[in-house]
Amino acid sequence: MQNLDVISVNLWQILISLANLVILFLLVKKFLYKPVKKVLKQRQDEIEVQYTAAKQAEDQALKNKEQYEAKLTGAKDEADSIIKTAAETAKRRSEAIAAEAEEKATRILRQAEQDAALEREKAADGIKKEIIEVSSELSKKLIEREINTDDHKALIDSFIEEIGEGNE
Amino acid sequence: MKQKSIGFIAADIIYILMMTLPFLAAIVLKVLTTPLSDGVEITGARIFFTIPMPIQDLLVTEAQINSLCVMIALFGLCLFLTHGLRTRDISVRQHLAEWIVEKVDKLVNDSMGNYFMNFAPFIIAILGLSAFSSFTCLLGLFPPTSDINIVAGWAILVFILITYNKLKCGPVHYLKGFTEPVAFLAPINFISEFATPISMAFRHYGNVLSGSVISVLIATALQGLSNLLLGWLPGFLGEIPFLQVGLPAVLSIYFDVFSGGLQAFIFAMLTMMYVSDGFPMEEYFARKKAKEDKKSTLKQKTEVN
Repeated sequence: MQNLDVISVNLWQILISLANLVILFLLVKKFLYKPVKKVLKQRQDEIEVQYTAAKQAEDQALKNKEQYEAKLTGAKDEADSIIKTAAETAKRRSEAIAAEAEEKATRILRQAEQDAALEREKAADGIKKEIIEVSSELSKKLIEREINTDDHKALIDSFIEEIGEGNE
Repeated sequence: MKQKSIGFIAADIIYILMMTLPFLAAIVLKVLTTPLSDGVEITGARIFFTIPMPIQDLLVTEAQINSLCVMIALFGLCLFLTHGLRTRDISVRQHLAEWIVEKVDKLVNDSMGNYFMNFAPFIIAILGLSAFSSFTCLLGLFPPTSDINIVAGWAILVFILITYNKLKCGPVHYLKGFTEPVAFLAPINFISEFATPISMAFRHYGNVLSGSVISVLIATALQGLSNLLLGWLPGFLGEIPFLQVGLPAVLSIYFDVFSGGLQAFIFAMLTMMYVSDGFPMEEYFARKKAKEDKKSTLKQKTEVN
């Protein structure tokens, strides 16, 4: 086995070495450069996506905040108006109730007056009837007996007495 | 920490074996085939066998085998680094893979421009192959980069890339480029064109080889010195070259690691520079734009008709 000279040019060795470099270039490109580039790009994309998501969330939060603030002021107004309307309603209701009560009271009074009037009428009717009855009784008795003055007087007295007794 | 599946671990083990076994095999081969000799020998790669081919016989040498080992190891490294890529909770190896890719991307973008971004994997390949080929001598192997044939192959590939990019505006524009800035300089321009790959190949090869040569020379000198100074020690103690401990290791750090890495970087930088310089950027885009304008006007004409 022998050695090469220090400088010895061999065409085939040169070509093989050239081919080796080309092959190594292809290998590096396929197995180191492209995968790493791909992963870097993926990471970049992921970061982009996250940034956009964060930006959107922030926008959304700001919008929500504005909405809530608007809603809050709206709610205050609404509460005021509700209280106002409630007070008004209550006032109206109380007035209505009072009016109704007054009306009712008047009605009851009137009814009572009517009733009293009716009762009085009834009583007058009763007295009248009694007087008629008494007078008719009296007239019967007068017709039944021969009336003299004394008798008559006595009769009237007794009658009056009778009435008095009856009245007592 | 998530529990890794058995398949994942098995794949990892295969990749790690891919990174280590070729070198082990190469070391075994080297130990088996290197004859014992104590003389100073500065030679090229060992020839394992010869395959008859037209024009010139194909010599299967140590440099070829080691280069193949480096390739397999780099392939294993690529697979290992990109194994289990995720977008979140990334592992250390993914950090490393992303670091490599991003650094080289940045380098290519800075020195070549955005148009040449598809050169990035090529630059990774050339950096890795060149640097790790030089580093093989840390394992006691023959560094493939100190064989002119290996480096010349890469330089010729770079030359092809340069010429391909120069030809993007057509052969006429390419030939006209030789007459600039003055027409009578054309022969010199022509020579300098072909000097590019040769200079690149010899720069790289010469640096690594000279490092090896200096290392061998100093190691041999230290052995001689050791024999001279410590030869009086009794028995086998006198035969041990104690002075060889220390200094060669420091020199190896410089010549093998630093110089090897630097040469790889220089080779990659020169590749990027030559390719991007050779590419007639303005002319190319002007022509492209003109073509598109022509197309659109033609379209409008046909629409009118």
